[in-house]
Amino acid sequence: MQPFRVPEAHTGVSEVTAAAAPTDRQLADRIVRDGDEAAFRALYRRHTPGLYRFALRLLGGNVFDAEDVVQQTWLKGVEGLPRFRWEAGLATWLHGIALNCCRASFRRKDSGWLAMDARREPLATPDMPHERIDLESALTRLPPGYRTVVVLHDVEGLTHEEIAEQLGVSANTSKSQLSRGRRMLRSMLTPPEGWKAEVQP
Amino acid sequence: MRSDDLTDLTPAEREEFAALPRDAEPGRMLEERTVAALREHGLLGRRRRAWARPAPFLAAAAAAVALFVSGLAVGQWLGTRTVVASVASANHESALQMAAAVQRSGSAYVAALTALAQVSDSTNGPSVEQGREAALAALYAAVAELMVLAPDDPVTVALRDLFDRPAPTQGTAGQPEIRNVVWF
Repeated sequence: MQPFRVPEAHTGVSEVTAAAAPTDRQLADRIVRDGDEAAFRALYRRHTPGLYRFALRLLGGNVFDAEDVVQQTWLKGVEGLPRFRWEAGLATWLHGIALNCCRASFRRKDSGWLAMDARREPLATPDMPHERIDLESALTRLPPGYRTVVVLHDVEGLTHEEIAEQLGVSANTSKSQLSRGRRMLRSMLTPPEGWKAEVQP
Repeated sequence: MRSDDLTDLTPAEREEFAALPRDAEPGRMLEERTVAALREHGLLGRRRRAWARPAPFLAAAAAAVALFVSGLAVGQWLGTRTVVASVASANHESALQMAAAVQRSGSAYVAALTALAQVSDSTNGPSVEQGREAALAALYAAVAELMVLAPDDPVTVALRDLFDRPAPTQGTAGQPEIRNVVWF
């Protein structure tokens, strides 16, 4: 299974540089064999921006938690590299680890983070009714459970079956969360009825 | 992007999701913190080497020392055992050989005396006398060694007493009293 289909551009191995730059596997082998710090830094710089954005989005924009998750992801990742079988891409594997770290972070703060309570309100609402927010901001205001499924499905492109396996829930739960999350997003992104934008001179 | 749920995204919404940035740069210090954490966990740098990981290295060193000491002890024990066994065996073999030699020479001594006695007539007087002196000298020497070998043995004690007496006087038949001693 390859739940996170990370585009090649996010692996840092473009067609232009593929011939010169060492592959993920070559760098990983140097880390495992020699504890090569330079190889790790190369791998870190290649994958961390994608991991950080992923964690930042799942954690509702909390930069401190996101950095903590990225660090934990690399710790677990490097520790597990000798056992990584390279059946999936390294980025895909690292995103899976990051997702688990994010879930652990959620659990530390709210044991019911994945609860699908329809009465749950967004974490924050726009300060003013007429305030337009973009999709990124709206995602941060979703409850963690909704946000996780929306990000995994609509941003990362996972199927409900893949999400179910990653989160340890049923595919129906994933579908339900996605549906409610999208409704909540639309309510945040659509201006109130009768509201007209006023353009300041 | 999937469209397998009940509330499908509109094309505009799909575009919005697709346009979301995929990368973001974390704080500059995160890389250093991560590298430091990896070093601390022994996953990067010199800690990856066996000698820099205290627990496995100490365990390996302790195992090596224990192996060396036990090997040394076993080697010493085997060596000592071999030497002792070899000496004991050699001594045992040597004693057996000596006893056999004594038995052989004793039998030869008695046989020679018997032969000498059979030819002790008047025609061989000087030769028999020479043989008799040689037999007595050998007997004296044998008794002296017996006194060392078995000083408390009753026969040895009797022989010593006999030989410590003054020079034997010739009997009526011209034979010394020593002839009456049963020594073998």
